[in-house]
Amino acid sequence: MDGVINMAKKIRYIKGMGVTHIDTRQEIHKIDRYKNIEHYKDIIYQCGKCGTCRTVYQDADWAKVCPSGEFRKFESYYLGGKNLLIWGLTSGKLNWTNNLANIFYHCSVCMACVQQCQVPELHSFSGEWLMAMREEAVKQGYGPMPEQRLYTKHTMEEKNPYMEKHDDRLNWLPSHIKQTADAKLAYFVGCTSSYREKNVAVATVEILNSLKVDFRIHDNEACCGSPVYMTGQTEKAKILAETNVNNFKNAGIEKIVTSCAGCYRTWKDIYPNKFGLEHGIEVKHLPEFLLGKLKNGELNFTKEFNMKITYHDPCHIGRHMGIYEAPRDVLSNIPGIEMLEMPRNRSNAWCCGSGGGVRSAFKDMSAFAANERIEEAKETAAEAIVSCCPFCLNQFKNNIKDNEIQALDLSEIVKKVI
Amino acid sequence: MINNFYIRNSLILIIKGENKMNNNEVITELENIVGQQFVSDKPEELFLYHYDFVTAEPEGKCDIVIMPNTEEEVQNIVKLANKHKIPVIPWVSGINFGSTATPLKGGIVVDLRRLNRVIEVNEDDMYALIEGGTTWADLQRYIGKHHPDLMAGITFSPPGTGVVPSCLCYGMFDLGMLGGTGAEFINGLEVVLGSGELVKIGSCSLSDCWYGRQPLPDLAGLFIGWEGSTGIVTKAAIKLWPKLPFRKTYTLMGKSIDIGIPVLLKLSKAGLGICDLFVFNYGWVQGGAGAYEKKVPLDPLKANLPDFIAGVTTQAYTEKQHEAQCEAIETIYKEGGIMELPGGADAYNLNLPIQGWGAWNFSRGGGGQWIGSYCSTRDITKYYEFARNISLKHGHTPQFYSRLLFGGHYCVARVNINFNKDDPKEIESARKILKEIHEEVTSLDGVVMYKAPEWAHKVNEEKTLPATVELIKKIKNLLDPNKIMNPGHGWGD
Repeated sequence: MDGVINMAKKIRYIKGMGVTHIDTRQEIHKIDRYKNIEHYKDIIYQCGKCGTCRTVYQDADWAKVCPSGEFRKFESYYLGGKNLLIWGLTSGKLNWTNNLANIFYHCSVCMACVQQCQVPELHSFSGEWLMAMREEAVKQGYGPMPEQRLYTKHTMEEKNPYMEKHDDRLNWLPSHIKQTADAKLAYFVGCTSSYREKNVAVATVEILNSLKVDFRIHDNEACCGSPVYMTGQTEKAKILAETNVNNFKNAGIEKIVTSCAGCYRTWKDIYPNKFGLEHGIEVKHLPEFLLGKLKNGELNFTKEFNMKITYHDPCHIGRHMGIYEAPRDVLSNIPGIEMLEMPRNRSNAWCCGSGGGVRSAFKDMSAFAANERIEEAKETAAEAIVSCCPFCLNQFKNNIKDNEIQALDLSEIVKKVI
Repeated sequence: MINNFYIRNSLILIIKGENKMNNNEVITELENIVGQQFVSDKPEELFLYHYDFVTAEPEGKCDIVIMPNTEEEVQNIVKLANKHKIPVIPWVSGINFGSTATPLKGGIVVDLRRLNRVIEVNEDDMYALIEGGTTWADLQRYIGKHHPDLMAGITFSPPGTGVVPSCLCYGMFDLGMLGGTGAEFINGLEVVLGSGELVKIGSCSLSDCWYGRQPLPDLAGLFIGWEGSTGIVTKAAIKLWPKLPFRKTYTLMGKSIDIGIPVLLKLSKAGLGICDLFVFNYGWVQGGAGAYEKKVPLDPLKANLPDFIAGVTTQAYTEKQHEAQCEAIETIYKEGGIMELPGGADAYNLNLPIQGWGAWNFSRGGGGQWIGSYCSTRDITKYYEFARNISLKHGHTPQFYSRLLFGGHYCVARVNINFNKDDPKEIESARKILKEIHEEVTSLDGVVMYKAPEWAHKVNEEKTLPATVELIKKIKNLLDPNKIMNPGHGWGD
C-alpha cells in the first residue's frame, strides 16, 4: 500500500502546470543541455504528438499557446510535429530540405509548448533540441533564413542587427547623465534600446542616476549575440560573446544591469553554459535590481502613476530564466497602478512574436502573434501593456492600431515615479 | 526535389479510371477550394499524417493534406476525390490507438482542425453543437467560460484529441455511468457522405433543434462505429449534463482485481448518483504516473502491491442527498474489503482532459497499443486474468483498465502493451503479444474490440453473422460508391 500512496503523493496539481510530477529522471536518460541533436535523438521519439503542447494545460481555459502552430496550422508546426520530424530526420526517414529548415525557423522558441508537455524528459528538454535543430540547419547549409543571414552579416561588422552604424550606438545618451569612470557596475544597453527604443535606455540611466548608483556604459559594447545565437549561428554568436566578455572583463566590470530580457538571458545563461565563457560577472535584469533596492529601502516611489496596466512576460526572462514575480512586485508597489492579469500569464504567457528571428524572416506570423497578445491585453480593460523587454515593447508599438492601448516598458514607468 | 517527385508519382498510382491527372492538377483544384496555405504535398508536412506515431500498426502514406474551414469545402473535396477516385481520410488528431486514421492506401488526409468551433450550447436541452474538428480543449474552454453549470463527458485522452471521432468510435467518458459510450452522447449529426452529399441526422434534419435522434429512423448508426469509412462528420450535437453542487470522487484501493470488481458491480447497480466508475490495475497506475517499466516490479501482485485502484465519482443536488449517497458508497466498499486511498482524488484536483501519456510511454520508447474491448460485466475479472498472464509471459508488467457504463449495463476492458517505437524488433514483438491477447480475450463470449485496427477488424467481421455483413456492405456501397472513404479501415471495405 505504501507504494501506491507514495506514488499518489508525487502527483500534484500546480497552478499553470496542471497535474504533474515533472522531474528529469536522470537515471533513465542522461540528458545535458546545449548539446547537438545526436545527444537527444533517443529521447525525442517518446513524443506521440498527443497535442498537449498546443494549449495551456489545466489552466487559462485551455487557451492556445503556440504562435507557430496556430498560424500555420499543420501538425509540423506544433512541438509534437517538430519532435517527430526530428525523429524522422535522425532515423533516416526524412532528409534536410529547405522546407524542413523553414518549419523549424517558423518558431520564436518561446517554449510555451514545452511548458505544457507532461512527459518529463520532453517537458524539461524540448527547448534544447529546438535550438539544436537550428544549429544543425546552419551546419547543413539550410539555415539561417535569408533575412537573418543579412542581419547577422551586419551584426558581425557593426555590432548590431538593425543596419545601424556602431559609431552611433551611444547617440541616445543624454549629456546630463552622470557616469563613473571606474565603476564596477555597467549598464548593458543592448541593440534595441540603443537604436530603436531609446526611451528605455534613457529611462534606465536616469533611474540609476536618481538612485545614485555608480555605473558606466562600455563605449565598445557589442550586440550580446542573441539574434545570431537564436537563429542557430552558434559560432558567430560566440565571437560576439567573446568580444563583450573580453571588453567588460578588461574594463574591470564586476556587475551588469540590463533592461533587455534577451541580453540578460544571453549574458547570464548562454555565455557560460553554451559558450563556456565563465565570465564571473554578476548579471541582473533591471526589475530584479530595482526590487533589491526597493526591499532595502534605497528605492522609494514618491509619485503616483494612475493607470490600469497588464504585464506581459517576455519569454527570455520568463520561461527561459524563470523570472515572473520581480517585475510584478516592482509594478504593484507603484502607487496608483492597478494590475490586471491576462488569462495567459507567467509560464503560460503568449509570446509577442518578435523573438527567435521570426520578426525578420516571417513578418506575417510575427504580426499574428503580436495582435493575438494585444487583443488579450485589451480584453483585460488595461490602458497599457507593460513589459520589461525593449524587443517586446517595439513589437507591440509596431502592431498596436489607433492607440487602442499603450505599450510601455517598466523602466519608463519607474522613471516617472521616483 | 527528389522527395516531391516521389510523392507526386505515388499519387498518380492511386488514381484509377480514365480521369488520370497529375498531382499538380489535383493540388491546384484543392487550393481553389480551401486556399493555397491550407493544402500541402510537402514531405515534411505529410510526414506527420502517415501514421499515429504511437501504435505498432504499420505506417500508411499521406499524399496530400488539406484543411477545410466549412462543410461546403468538405463537400467539394470529397466530390473532387470521387471524380478522380482518390482515397479520403478524415482526421482530427490522428491518435486513437487503433490507427484508424492511418491512410493505408494513400490519398488525401482531410485534417479537420479548422472546423473546431462550438456553434451553440443549448442549456434547456443540454447539448453542445460542435464542428467535426473540435478538440476536448476547445469544448472544455468554451463550456468552462460560458456555461459553468454544465459539463461535458470527457475522455482520458489528451486535450488535443477530437470530440467527434471519440464519440463516433465508441470512446468512453467520465460521465459514462450516466450516458454510456460516446456514441450514446450523440444527439444529431451533419455528415458529408462518401458521395459528397450533405445529410443531417436526428431532429436537426427537419428543424433547427438538435435535441435528439428520436423519434425518427435512427440513421446515426450509418456513421457510428464505421471509422470514417462512410462519411465525414462536419457537425455533431453532443449531450451535456448538469454539474451538481455536491460532488465527490473516491479513489479506492484493494489487494486484487478479483476482490475489487464485485464491489464496483454492486456500486454500479445501487443508484447512488454515480457518474463514473472505473478501475486501474497497479501497472496502469505506475505507467500513468510516469514510471519506467524496467524499474518497477514486473508483477505487482507478487510484490504484494495493491492491484486494484478504482475511481468513483458521485454528485448530488442537495447536501443531504450527497451525504446519503456517500454513506452508501462507503458502506459498500468497506463491506467488500476495499479502502479509500488517503487524500483521495481531491489531493490531485484533477481536471479532465489529462495527458495520460505516461501510460503510453511506460517503456520509455513512445510506443503503446491496447486491446480495448466492450464486454459483459461478468467477464471483467477473466479478461484481466487472460491479459495479465500473457503480459507476464512476455516480460511486460500488466496494464489494465476497465470502466462500467450506462448504469452498469456493460463495460469496457483494456490492456496496454508498451514498446520502443524506434526498435523494429520491439514493434514486431508487441504485435505478436497484442494478437495473442486479442485471441485469448475474444474467446470470452461477447468480447468485441473497438477502434479495431485492420487485423482485429477482420476477426470481428469473420465472427459476424454473414447476413449482417452483407447488409453492412450494401450500406457501405450506397454511402461510398467509389470506395474512397478511409479505405482499409472499418466495415464493408
